[in-house]
Amino acid sequence: MKNSIKARRRFGNGVVYVVLAALGLLWISPIVYLVISSFRAEKGSFLDGYIMPRGYTLDNYVRLFTDTDQFNYPRWFLNTFVVAVCSCIISTLFVLMVAYALSRLRFKMRRPIMNIALVLGMFPGFMSMIAIYHLLKVINLDKTLVALVLVYSAGAGLTYYITKGFFDTIPKAMDEAAILDGATRFQVFWKITIPMSKPIITYTVLTTFMAPWLDYIMASVIMKDNYQNYTIALGMYRMLERESIYEWYTAFCAGAVIVGIPIAILFIVMQRYYVEGVTGGSVKG
Amino acid sequence: MSKKTAAILLSALMLVGLMAGCSSTSSSSTGGTSTPATPGSTPASTGSEAGGDSSTPATGGENISLRVWGPQEEQALLKEMCEAFAAENPDNTYTFEYGVVGENDARDRFLEDPAAAADVFMFANDHLRDLVKASALYEVTRNRDDIISRNVEGSVAAASLDEALYAYPMTADNGYFLYYDSSVLSEDDVQTLDGILAVANENGKKVFMDVSNGYYIVSFFFGAGDNIWLEGDAQKCDFNNEAGLAAAESIKTFTADPAFITGEDAIITGGMGESIIAGVSGVWNAEALQEKLGDNFAATKLPTFTLNGEQAQMGSFAGYKLVGVNSLTSQPVAAMDLANWLTNQENQTKRFETRQLGPSNTAAAADPAVKENIALNALAMQSAYAKPQNDVLGGFWNPAEAFGNALEAKDYSVDLQTMLDNLVSQVEAG
Repeated sequence: MKNSIKARRRFGNGVVYVVLAALGLLWISPIVYLVISSFRAEKGSFLDGYIMPRGYTLDNYVRLFTDTDQFNYPRWFLNTFVVAVCSCIISTLFVLMVAYALSRLRFKMRRPIMNIALVLGMFPGFMSMIAIYHLLKVINLDKTLVALVLVYSAGAGLTYYITKGFFDTIPKAMDEAAILDGATRFQVFWKITIPMSKPIITYTVLTTFMAPWLDYIMASVIMKDNYQNYTIALGMYRMLERESIYEWYTAFCAGAVIVGIPIAILFIVMQRYYVEGVTGGSVKG
Repeated sequence: MSKKTAAILLSALMLVGLMAGCSSTSSSSTGGTSTPATPGSTPASTGSEAGGDSSTPATGGENISLRVWGPQEEQALLKEMCEAFAAENPDNTYTFEYGVVGENDARDRFLEDPAAAADVFMFANDHLRDLVKASALYEVTRNRDDIISRNVEGSVAAASLDEALYAYPMTADNGYFLYYDSSVLSEDDVQTLDGILAVANENGKKVFMDVSNGYYIVSFFFGAGDNIWLEGDAQKCDFNNEAGLAAAESIKTFTADPAFITGEDAIITGGMGESIIAGVSGVWNAEALQEKLGDNFAATKLPTFTLNGEQAQMGSFAGYKLVGVNSLTSQPVAAMDLANWLTNQENQTKRFETRQLGPSNTAAAADPAVKENIALNALAMQSAYAKPQNDVLGGFWNPAEAFGNALEAKDYSVDLQTMLDNLVSQVEAG
């Protein structure tokens, strides 16, 4: 009797593991394919009748950084990196400050502001992209990297929700104790709240750092034809055009792999806080 | 990210309030509304002396800045040509600003924001009508007769609308034809589609054509004598007549053949020389296919196909790439001269030599080197059966694709005549 229960459980677990393993393989396969393609010696995006390349090479990577007449990958990479770092810093500060104010201060418009922000946050951002472009043009910022930093970070305050939820879990007694000791509101924020909020800061840094790497639509509307200021997504998409896809597809894959590197580094450095941040912030707000 | 953009809108709105004063001045400087008087007067004087390439404006010593759009692949060449233009016209100081916009994107990019668009830009001829409708193009008034006489007729027609010339023909190579592997197929085999399919089936190989794409599927209908045209602004199409039905039967037979393979460009560039022995595509894939096939690289006009038991020649679309001048440009004379320069014989030859693009200039096209280019030669052979794409409106592509998709999927649930009737009614409805 005891044995059969054990056997049944073992069988059940076996089935689960097989299913999970299959799903895992399925999910990882595009990435494996991408990495393999990036080392492929044959050009073109389609292999006829075989999966594993016939030859391997590092040329695709070398080419990205040497053959920059047509596709200036290093420049685009740098553009994106600078934009990502700037907007990451600005929006992280924004989010933290807004969340702190809404969590700790009590003022008349607090509720309405929170509601408006929530509703605004429900509209997809690209709805307003043409308007944003024309506004940027009016202030002569179209086709610049500054504009991208603005777009990616200016509205960051709206994403205060999770952060505010996290701040709400920090006991108010701490603040009060600090204030009794003569601390100002700013000192409470800077010296008490921030040091205790590593998980949520990590979460905000990660999400805001990634946005410029992933965004295509905003960047394309703002950059238009200014090739030198393209971000990585915009520039690499050009490689897939009719005239260049055969020649550049494998280099495109190599470029995609390299894009993963800064994001991966940031993740590895900050990941131990990450899970804490997501779950910590989702406590009732 | 999405939330941020909504917020920037709000904050930017406030900014606009503050900057309402500046906005009017900055837009007028880019719009150049004050200048159109100059070009209006020039055509009359230059029309007679057409042919002179040293058409420098009388007033020298000007600082002229021009924005030029060209595709990614052309940037280096474009820079070289523009600098040569500045050197040819030393009276004025030219500054050029280059934007990367491919011929296929130019229309959309232009219409997004005409004031921010280039003064001189390259585009595909099938976008001419839309651009003219949007008053985007300066009618070509300088050197008009010279432009008409030095380019092949089809390209001039493709650059004109209602007798008015709107652009400068740059290439005559945006069409398709048949590539094949000469180690498997002989010159006789490629004369007929049946011959190609027979060889393919013998060898267990494939024949590529993207039938589920209006661009290619028309070749059967054109071969049957059908047409698509404009009456006023209304799209007309007679693919559902008797000849069209016969053509559809031929397409059905072709797509049902075991050797038939469809897909996007990647399929032919990846599969040629492997499982594919012949395929329909254009010059943009010439380099890739040549690399794949090596000495066996061959190309010719499209084959004939069996239509009601007889052989009919497959037709095709002929496309051209053109250079246009922005109607909002503040330097119309210089812009026109530059467009003229970019499309002259010398630069078309240069474009052929560096990028293998087929010249529209008759003298440049007569160059023996152009004739020896396998792909361009095939395109020239096909051009006798090709129609320009100018009169095809945007509403054609999706219904045509749906029709091709159904046949490729061997979905015969609806009879061909009904499918064709649907196709035509959708196309005509736009």
